[in-house]
Amino acid sequence: MREILLVARREYLAYVGAWGFWLSLITTPLLLAVMIGAPLLLRQAEPERRIAVIASPADQALLEKAFAAPAPGRPDTGVGARYKLVRADVQDPKALTPALTGQGEEPLFGALVVTRAAGDVDLQYWSTNLTDRAPLRVAQDALSASMRRSVLASRGVAAADMAWIETLQPKVSQFDPRAAPGAGAVSAKDRAPLVAALMAAFALWTAVFSIANMLLSGVIEEKSSRVLDTLLSSAAPVQILAGKLLGVAALSFTLFTVWGGAGAGIASLAAAAAPSTTLEAFRSVATPELIALFGFCFLAGYLMFGAAFLAIGSLCESLQEAQTLIGPLILVLVLPVLLFAPAFENPASPIVRAASWVPLFTPFLTPIRAAAGMPPLEAIGLCVMLVVTIFAILFGAARVFQAGVSGSASAADVRRRFAPKLKMGG
Amino acid sequence: MTMDLDVSGLTKLYGAHRAVDDVSFAAPAGSICGILGPNGAGKSSTIRMIVGISTPSAGTVTLGGAPITRRVLRSVGYLPEERGLYRNMTPLATLIYFARLKGMGMRAAKTRALELLASQGLDGFARKKIKTLSKGMAQKVQLMAAIAHRPRLVILDEPFSGLDPVNQAGVEAMIRGLAAEGCTVLFSTHIMEHAERMCDRVVLIAQGRKAFEGAVSAALAAAPRVAHLETEGAFDLAAALSTSGFKLERESESPDHIRWRAPLDGPEAPRRLLAACVAAGAPLSLFEPSRATLHDAFVRLVGDQAAPPRPEAQTGWRAVAPEARHA
Repeated sequence: MREILLVARREYLAYVGAWGFWLSLITTPLLLAVMIGAPLLLRQAEPERRIAVIASPADQALLEKAFAAPAPGRPDTGVGARYKLVRADVQDPKALTPALTGQGEEPLFGALVVTRAAGDVDLQYWSTNLTDRAPLRVAQDALSASMRRSVLASRGVAAADMAWIETLQPKVSQFDPRAAPGAGAVSAKDRAPLVAALMAAFALWTAVFSIANMLLSGVIEEKSSRVLDTLLSSAAPVQILAGKLLGVAALSFTLFTVWGGAGAGIASLAAAAAPSTTLEAFRSVATPELIALFGFCFLAGYLMFGAAFLAIGSLCESLQEAQTLIGPLILVLVLPVLLFAPAFENPASPIVRAASWVPLFTPFLTPIRAAAGMPPLEAIGLCVMLVVTIFAILFGAARVFQAGVSGSASAADVRRRFAPKLKMGG
Repeated sequence: MTMDLDVSGLTKLYGAHRAVDDVSFAAPAGSICGILGPNGAGKSSTIRMIVGISTPSAGTVTLGGAPITRRVLRSVGYLPEERGLYRNMTPLATLIYFARLKGMGMRAAKTRALELLASQGLDGFARKKIKTLSKGMAQKVQLMAAIAHRPRLVILDEPFSGLDPVNQAGVEAMIRGLAAEGCTVLFSTHIMEHAERMCDRVVLIAQGRKAFEGAVSAALAAAPRVAHLETEGAFDLAAALSTSGFKLERESESPDHIRWRAPLDGPEAPRRLLAACVAAGAPLSLFEPSRATLHDAFVRLVGDQAAPPRPEAQTGWRAVAPEARHA
């Protein structure tokens, strides 16, 4: 145990002493903040999108009203703030081409052309931006409503009745039959754990992937710089393997603690300003059971893949050589991501339930299934299976690591052993 | 306290290849023992089995009568052939780390590390990163890491490789110092001169098998000795001594001199050869009986093919074509 702790301590201090660690510690939250904040800042910094309107004064007024406020029962998408309608003094939209192509002092983002003939309404949208169709959608909705109102008016429906009809919306409620009687209504608070579990699964997958790579490159560096032989005279291969896993786990814990602490600090500062539903949703995610399960799944995923990466690293003399062996493992590691979306959509689907019993998927799918509500017995069964798998993988990885670091096995041996089988299979 | 190392029937198989084949030897407590052989002879494989890095296919290793275990290995220091250190660690941290891995306490390890660094004049570099040290300094740190925990047996795999003569002398002094403190030292080398100068006992290994084990003097006694002679003019010394029992070979010739090589058999042979030359009236300009070397002993014991290459600069003689050797 002493050797394991000493190796772990050295690994931890070596990483913490590197400037890359501090860079990662600081830049990751900054990067997240930039990823969240940048689109908002860009949107605010973006100049107003001017839309020219070629229409009758009545349609012009109709469109201005539609852009200023959302239709009854529709959410406010903020188009009023993003687009400014301007009247065009031309009849042919071709005349606007210079402004629409960014020339002139007052460039246009787009142009809406509305023409009416014999009860038909023709709407054209001109713009060099082919992806932003929001102005067209808003205009189309407004004109559709206008056309409906015309027809209803021709059938004798009063204007007040029409306004009342447009506000008609069903009262929507969603229920979960598993909830206690009288408390089954589903709110954001109930959906939050599932969203958080999906995010946690992604975070877990990303973390396992990057940390396992850290272990791989670390052991290859030790092998290529010949430190490993010196180390082997002082500690058994299994102790070195365990020490490395422990050291990097401690490093990850430090990173997550700092990031989590920073996140909690920001969250507590924002709590006063946050709506009560958001706070309730946050509280429903931060339950001890879910946090413990996320922690366990992270540890399980880390140990499974970390040990495998360490074993592969012990067989290789360089990163280039490792790539040939790591390729198939990376493909395997990518597979769980394919099930994230189906698991989020239907955590109880047969394929997701079956896949969660495959150890490769278990650490990633279990949090999602648990957040959606999983029978406790199944959760315990999955955890037991994970523990057994971890021990089996650690045992196998230790044997490969021992053979790799003592020079009894190499990447070439693995290739020799599997290449003929692959050829036969292919 | 010192310890005997006992290696018995050690064998290492890599598939069908026998890298080490039934090697047995002993290193008595407090002695300096050399494992000699050319590159690829099986020296490092033998050592890696002794220090527990690789598992023997057969055979046993005992230290002080006890089988090698992790606990026993704590009293063993090991310098691997392929060396390396953590480049971003300081020499002080490195020595403390390896001493602690061998069971030393933090305080004792630090005291010992500082003492070792000072003894090698590296105290000024104790807290500098290893990547800033010269190669010689780094090698010294590596050797110190092997002995920082005050081992009772030190195993050094090719300790002189890559070192300049000054640093080689430093390592030699360090090894002698360890032996003087009662530590058993086992080192491998393919350079016979080092073993000849330093070892009490040698084990000669060729193609995975032990060819000889014993005192250096016993190995030297097995070495064939020769004398080099030079005669003036065209005097045929081989013909003149043909009846005296000496069989001379012509090594080289010039218009003024002929150079001869005479095998010597027994301790009295040089005196008898000189007397025969005088009796034959040979115009001698050089008479030089060579000293027996471990290299010669190795060649005698295992054959020329399995012997390590002999550096020409160290022999002082250039080889001539075999046909030119015979008069």
